[in-house]
Amino acid sequence: MSPEWMSDAPEKFSKVLVANRGEIAVRVLQASKEAGLSCVAVFSESDSSSLHVELADEAVLLEGDTLEMTYLNGNAIIEAARSTGADAIHPGYGFLSERAGFAREVESAGIRWIGPSAHAIETMGDKISARSLMIESGVPVIPGDQIPVEEGADHLGALASAAAKIGYPLLIKASAGGGGKGMRSVSVPKNLRSEFEAAAREASAAFGDGTVYIERLLTRARHVEIQVLCDSHGGAVHLNERDCSLQRRYQKVIEEAPSPAVTPRIREAMGEAAVTAARSVGYVGAGTVEFLLASNGEFYFLEMNTRIQVEHPVTEMTTGIDLVQKQFEVAAGLPLGITQQEVSQNGHSIEARVYAEDPSRGFLPSIGDLAVWRPPSGPGIRVDSGVREGDSVTIEFDPMLAKLIVHAPDRQSAIRRLDSALSSFVVLGVRTNIGFLRNALTHETFQSGSIDTDFLDSTDPSELRGPDPDRPTLVAVAASAQRLGMDRKQIAGTGDVDDHTGHQGDPFRTLGRTFP
Amino acid sequence: MEWSVPDEPERFKASLQETEGSVSITSLTRDGIEVHIPETSVEAEDKPGRAIVRVGGTTKLAHIARTGDTWWVHIDGRAHEVVFHEQGRKASASEGSLRAPMPGTVLQVMAKEGQRVREGQHLMTLEAMKMEHKILAPKPGEITKVHFSEGDRADMGSSLVEIGD
Repeated sequence: MSPEWMSDAPEKFSKVLVANRGEIAVRVLQASKEAGLSCVAVFSESDSSSLHVELADEAVLLEGDTLEMTYLNGNAIIEAARSTGADAIHPGYGFLSERAGFAREVESAGIRWIGPSAHAIETMGDKISARSLMIESGVPVIPGDQIPVEEGADHLGALASAAAKIGYPLLIKASAGGGGKGMRSVSVPKNLRSEFEAAAREASAAFGDGTVYIERLLTRARHVEIQVLCDSHGGAVHLNERDCSLQRRYQKVIEEAPSPAVTPRIREAMGEAAVTAARSVGYVGAGTVEFLLASNGEFYFLEMNTRIQVEHPVTEMTTGIDLVQKQFEVAAGLPLGITQQEVSQNGHSIEARVYAEDPSRGFLPSIGDLAVWRPPSGPGIRVDSGVREGDSVTIEFDPMLAKLIVHAPDRQSAIRRLDSALSSFVVLGVRTNIGFLRNALTHETFQSGSIDTDFLDSTDPSELRGPDPDRPTLVAVAASAQRLGMDRKQIAGTGDVDDHTGHQGDPFRTLGRTFP
Repeated sequence: MEWSVPDEPERFKASLQETEGSVSITSLTRDGIEVHIPETSVEAEDKPGRAIVRVGGTTKLAHIARTGDTWWVHIDGRAHEVVFHEQGRKASASEGSLRAPMPGTVLQVMAKEGQRVREGQHLMTLEAMKMEHKILAPKPGEITKVHFSEGDRADMGSSLVEIGD
């Protein structure tokens, strides 16, 4: 049965299948429960004891060893929805969220697709068609010529002449890309070939489509994006901006709202451009329009992400609007129920992405078991995470372990709150970027709000290294811990850990036991 | 028993004294030379994995866990690793050998045996988690061995390329 709040909705649904894993699956499953909806998880073999599976009302195993057989297997996921009676599918981000074909198949199977139309995904997903549509709609785009480069064709001649016309530095991007995969910058002509080949390879591995294109690389710019929300009745609002300028190799690291570089005038103009962009494809649901903001206040359309974003919580914290709940409402055919004037901006929010990666080894992904996992808590602190203590971190999936989000009255106090929360985030057993996040956050350039997207890649690594640890004291502590036998799970005398439930002295096990 | 911190060549030895569940450091040497550290003692808390650390006059809470030969210590807001080595054992990773930092597929091999390379030179490209990672020469020298060809899978920790002087 569909929940009470949906009683006036034209397109009711009652059971949501979440076609994802990790923190976003957990986020959407929790939102489903809050909304009074039943929820179904899907999982691969290696995820069988993951948090998202534990949280769901029901869970369906997707058999197979590869992503194509599991989280990217549209047919199996639709079949899972059928077999569990789920009448809506939420794709999360990544995986199938921006595959127009999947959206179409879900709809034609008679299941509600919690996302924009296949047409909108298709148009915005192809960077070239998106760019032409923006030019038509009067949304500013990055200056420069663009030549699509088809994989397989004799591309180097065309590429080189286009590159010469655009000028260096330039950016090679996967047409189907996102998340920094298949994206390479080229500063001098002699690197064009090798970077192009690397981009094409990454793009075909990650997206099954090796088409790349090139554009002028704007330096000293900020990455600012606008959250939009549209219903199926023509209602469309924007929920202000998020600043995601703190990036490493085009991977966002820290995001905040509002942007320290956005004035009310820029916010209004950018917001209007974002709503225009969304309307131009008849967008329905939650989406994000990304812009590059140049230091002179000019901004250019980058791309539109037709899904919920990783960094959506900073918008939720500052506007008080639950974006996943809004996605449900819009999918049910309800009107937004908010006007642009009613969108407020309260305080400052910052999100830090906690990755299993090793800053001292060029940010290579790290693996291991989360021997200790103690996320921080307290007023104004939110942790969106898909893992728990004891979980294994493998290289199979994205290395993001959690998002730590803080909210405070102003930017300076938000920075302090985030730094303090990061310092009490205890993760042992797997190397993470938590220390690095603290170093970046407390760097004077970030503090002053004057970073650009090149900040992390162009700053001398020594400035982001943090204080040298007191090695003798660390050795003293470790040696003492070993002497104290702290590697034994329990301190003697407090009972054995039950190896079946992981609980101490499980009474049910003891009850059922017969002694010889 | 010797101790070290990742990426640091120095070896420590500690002499400890245990009294009523509290361990204090009586002496600490670094590469055989006595290090003077403030009076330090460690006491396990009732909750597993937590310890009270007293350094000089200050008391701190530390979270401690062990995986394999590594002790993980979270203290003063940061996590650290300390590795212990059974005495007499040689350093395992031979100098000049480049190891796979994670399991992955070898995409490109630029290094050839006998070739002289400069520090930072791109030797190999490894793909993991759909991202490409460049393996760079950690020092100048001559390539003495290339262990993998394009398309091979490399396990974590396996030696990729060896560089002599």
